Amino acid sequence: MSIRKFKKYLFIYTVSIVALIFTLFPFYWMLVSSFTPNDIMYKVNPTLIPSKFTFQHYIDLFTTTKFTTYFINSLYVATFSTLISIIISILGSYSLTRLRYRGRMFFTKTIILSYLLPVAVLFIPMYVFASRLGLADNKNSLLLVYPTLIVPYCCYMLISYFKAIPVSLEEAALIDGCTSLQSLFKIILPIALPSIAVVATFAFTMAWNEYLYALVLTTSPSQQTVTIGIASFKYSDQYIWGLLMSSSVIASIPSLILYLLAQRFMVGDLSAGGVKQ
Amino acid sequence: MKGLGRKYDVLLGYLLITPVVILIFIVIGVPFVNAIYLSFTDKVAGSVPKFIGFKNYINLFSDPDYIIVLKNTFVYTFTSIGFKLMIGIFLAVVLNQKFFGRSIIRTLLLLPWALSGMVAAMSWKWMYNDTYGIINALLMKAHIVHVPVLWLSDARLALISCIIVNVWRGVPFFFFSVLGGLQTIDSQMYEAADIDGAGVIKKFFCITLPSLKSVIMITTVLSTIWTFNDFENVFLITGGGPLHASSIISTYTYEMAFLQNEMGKAMSVAASVIPIILMMILIPLRKLNKEEK
Repeated sequence: MSIRKFKKYLFIYTVSIVALIFTLFPFYWMLVSSFTPNDIMYKVNPTLIPSKFTFQHYIDLFTTTKFTTYFINSLYVATFSTLISIIISILGSYSLTRLRYRGRMFFTKTIILSYLLPVAVLFIPMYVFASRLGLADNKNSLLLVYPTLIVPYCCYMLISYFKAIPVSLEEAALIDGCTSLQSLFKIILPIALPSIAVVATFAFTMAWNEYLYALVLTTSPSQQTVTIGIASFKYSDQYIWGLLMSSSVIASIPSLILYLLAQRFMVGDLSAGGVKQ
Repeated sequence: MKGLGRKYDVLLGYLLITPVVILIFIVIGVPFVNAIYLSFTDKVAGSVPKFIGFKNYINLFSDPDYIIVLKNTFVYTFTSIGFKLMIGIFLAVVLNQKFFGRSIIRTLLLLPWALSGMVAAMSWKWMYNDTYGIINALLMKAHIVHVPVLWLSDARLALISCIIVNVWRGVPFFFFSVLGGLQTIDSQMYEAADIDGAGVIKKFFCITLPSLKSVIMITTVLSTIWTFNDFENVFLITGGGPLHASSIISTYTYEMAFLQNEMGKAMSVAASVIPIILMMILIPLRKLNKEEK
C-alpha cells in the first residue's frame, strides 16, 4: 500500500516538475535576459545563469526610450476602457437577467455571438471607422474599440453571476417599496461586488494586453501603448533584446499582480459552486 | 400600482440595455457591415471603392499564397487545440489529487495566461534565436543537435515554433476550465467504481471524461475561435515568413491591407473564413443544446 502511495506521489511530482519547468522557463529567461549585460548577451552559447548582472537595460529604458509614455498610455487606455465597459455591462446584465421585456433573449444571444466575432475581420473597417470619426492615430479611439472586446465578455460573466443571486432577496425589497433600479444598487451590487471585481480585473488585463487594434489604430509614439511600444525597440531589423526583455518584465507586472489577486477568488468561486451541486 | 411598476420595469429594461445595444449594433455592427461591403470592392488605400462583385473571392482561390495560408491556419488551429486539450486535461486530472504544494503549483501553472501575447511572443522569439538563443545552446550542450536549429527561418519549422508558443500560452485556460469541471463531479461515483474494482484508466474514461463533456466542449469552441484568429503570436514571432510558410489568415489579412494597401482584397481574405468560424461555433453549440434537453 505504501509503495503504491509512493509511486502515486512520485508520478504527481514528476508531472508537476516537468510542467513547471516548461511553464516557467520563458519567465525565468525573460527576467535573466533583462539583467544580462550586452557583452554576455550577444555571445554564442549562453549559459543558464549569466556570469554578470547589470541594471543598465532598465536605466536605458527610462532614460533613452519613450517607455514611460507607453506605460502611461496603457494605464490610461486600460483603466478607462475597463470603467466604461464595466458600467455598461452591469446595467445591461441587470436588465437582461431581472427585467422582462421583448427582445431580451435576442439581445442575450447577440452579445454572446459578438463575444466570438473575430478581430481579424473587424480591424480594417474599425480603422476606417475611427479615421472617419477623426480619431486616427489617437489613443482615445481605443476607448471606443476596446469595449467591443470587453463588454461581451463582461456581460457573459455577469449574466451568470446575477442569475445565481436569489430573486427572493430582491422581492423583499420590492415589496418594501424599492424600485428595480434601487434594488440593483442596494441589493445586487453589494452582493455581486467580489465577482464584479474579478471581471473588472480580467477586463483590465484584456485591455492592457491587447495588440492588434493598438497596432492598427495608433502610429505615433505619443499615442502608442506598451504592447506596441516595446515591439518597436529595434534598429532596422535587429531587435534590442536587453530593452525588449526589461520592458517586457515591467509591462507584465500590472497584469500578473491583478491576475494573481483575482485568481484566488476564482478558484474559491469554482469550488464553492461544486459544493453546492 | 402593480401596473405602473411593470411599465416602469419595461422602460428601465430598455434604458439599461441601450448602451450595450449601441455598442454591439453600431460600434461593432457598422464596421462589420462595412467590412463585408469592402470585400466586394476594389478598394485600395486612399481610393474610392468600386463594387466588383465576387471578383475578389474568385481570385482568392486561384491565389497559391491564399491556399497555403488557409492550410497553415487549419494546421495551426487544430494542432494547437489538440495539444492544449490533451495537456490541459492531463494536468487537471493529475493536479486534482491532494498533495503538498498543490495550490501554489496550480497558480504558477496558470501564469502564462496572464501574460500579454506580445510579451510571450517576444520572449520565445528571443529563446528561439539562431545564434544567441538559449534553446539551441541547451540542445547543443546536451548533444541532441550539433548545428543550431533554425527555429524561425526554416520553412518546415516556422509554423511548428509558433504552435509551441500558442500551446504554452493556451494550456492554462484548458487546465483551469477542466479543473473547475472536475469539482462538480460527485465523488460517490468514484467510490462506487472503486468498490467495483475499476482501475485508474477505466475510471477516467467511464466517469471523468463523460462528466466533463460540456466543459470541454465550451472550452474547445472558445479556444478554437481564439486560436483561429490569433494574430500577434505569428505576426511577432515569424511575421508569417519565411515566404508565407507560417502565415495564417489574420497575418495575411494585415499584410494585404497595410503592406500592400489592398483593402478590398484583404477584406475578402478575412471574410472568406466567416462561414468556417460560424460553423465552428454553431455545430458544437447545437449539439450541446440537444444533449442538455
